[in-house]
Amino acid sequence: MSFFRKLRKSINNNKPRTDSDAIFSLSSAYITLETKLGLKSTGRCALSLKSADGMHFTEMKDGIQRFLNISKSDTELKNRMVVDSYGYLWVVLEGKSMADILAGISAIGDTVQERGFSKQLLVAIFEFKIEKHSNEVTQYLIYNYKFNKFYPFVPFGQKTRSTEDEMKIMAAIVDEVPFEKDMILWYPLWDLPI
Amino acid sequence: MSIPKTPSWQRRDAGLTARIILSFSILALLYIGFLSALTYVGLDFVSITVIAGIMILAQWYFSDKIVLWSSGAKKVTREQFPELHDIIERVVARNNLPKPKIAVINTNMPNAFATGKGPRSSIVVVTTGLMDLLDTEELEGVLSHELTHIRNRDVLILTLASLFSTVAWYLMQFGFYGGMGYGYGYGYRDRNNSGAGAMIIVIVVAMLTWVVSFLIIRAISRYREFAADRGSAQMTGKPVKLANALMKISGNMRQIPTKDLRQVEGLNAFFIIPALSGSTIGNLFSTHPPVEKRVQKLMEMEASMG
Repeated sequence: MSFFRKLRKSINNNKPRTDSDAIFSLSSAYITLETKLGLKSTGRCALSLKSADGMHFTEMKDGIQRFLNISKSDTELKNRMVVDSYGYLWVVLEGKSMADILAGISAIGDTVQERGFSKQLLVAIFEFKIEKHSNEVTQYLIYNYKFNKFYPFVPFGQKTRSTEDEMKIMAAIVDEVPFEKDMILWYPLWDLPI
Repeated sequence: MSIPKTPSWQRRDAGLTARIILSFSILALLYIGFLSALTYVGLDFVSITVIAGIMILAQWYFSDKIVLWSSGAKKVTREQFPELHDIIERVVARNNLPKPKIAVINTNMPNAFATGKGPRSSIVVVTTGLMDLLDTEELEGVLSHELTHIRNRDVLILTLASLFSTVAWYLMQFGFYGGMGYGYGYGYRDRNNSGAGAMIIVIVVAMLTWVVSFLIIRAISRYREFAADRGSAQMTGKPVKLANALMKISGNMRQIPTKDLRQVEGLNAFFIIPALSGSTIGNLFSTHPPVEKRVQKLMEMEASMG
């Protein structure tokens, strides 16, 4: 755990929570999003980590791939790996059940951390869809591994975002999941490769 | 020193606020001077109290005129600003309120305030900058906030609250001149040391009362702002719109980052813990609560509406 993470935790006086705990809190919050806002999970989510050179990183990548291949048989999770223009590796999962998705994402996160690459972990991102004026709008919930908090991201047009929809998401689930209330830290992720 | 106006939330529009404050400060100084002069020429306590009461009432009665005059707001007809009239009519019709007069200030600064003696003779003032900045629903949120100030009679409440501090100020003056042996004073009392000591105590207590009442007025004012936000959210049923408007007006919208997380991740700035916004002392003196707090309360309302 980094110094700043420790500092933040002590300042926020949070109970110690693991990333998996935080991610699994979505297993009820996603229902709240659907009932309160009409946001439906698309079943697509991704974990993003900064690529590194060297054998250990490649080994970890292979480990993740092996895990995904094994779990494919009993969870029906589709998966793929993409590297974006920033050099971040995206492990994209797609499944029908939220429980499978959350289990998959947190297992990959745990693997990365166990192999000593926790500093490389950036975010886990969950995709939602909503009907608006007979158009489908995509909205995201981002889990930031540095701050151990969720925040909303609703892209809208060219590199602009709908703050209003983001605030609605915050209002809906702020008490259910560890939520980043400081909007200054709601960094967007444009051109998602998922 | 009454505060016969309920200005909008934001602190950026220093010009308008300063003009209104200046007008009322000059008025306040004028009548403090006048009362001091009355004390000096030896009028008795009761008649001075009556005169002071009349002056405060007069200032309250003319408060809307003073505010309009000092802010440069012009009353507008439905023909000039049909949309503004429409929004206000919708809100007052839904909530069974009398329709206030509407005035506009021609400035780019986004701002709005309400003033007036009671719900029937009130006036809502908006700037052209506010109308340009906000969309219809956000404008409705802001106007409902001002209409709630009117419905809650916040002008009257703040005037009454300031009466307390005016009386304290007056007592301080009275004690001061009494102690100096001018005018009426307490004629039967010996001008010995214990008398002078008592006067000093009166002055100190009056000053303390004045300072405390000043802070209390500020606290009441902040509380009224939260109440008006709440009322607005109840009137429109859309707290998120008012929250959005508040962020736009205060310029907080720019704080929501547009820079990609992957771009800032490597920078040290990413890890800097945001400084505490505003000092506690500053909060104590301000008439409006910080925007973040207000947005947070509105979001709590939004959440509870489910």
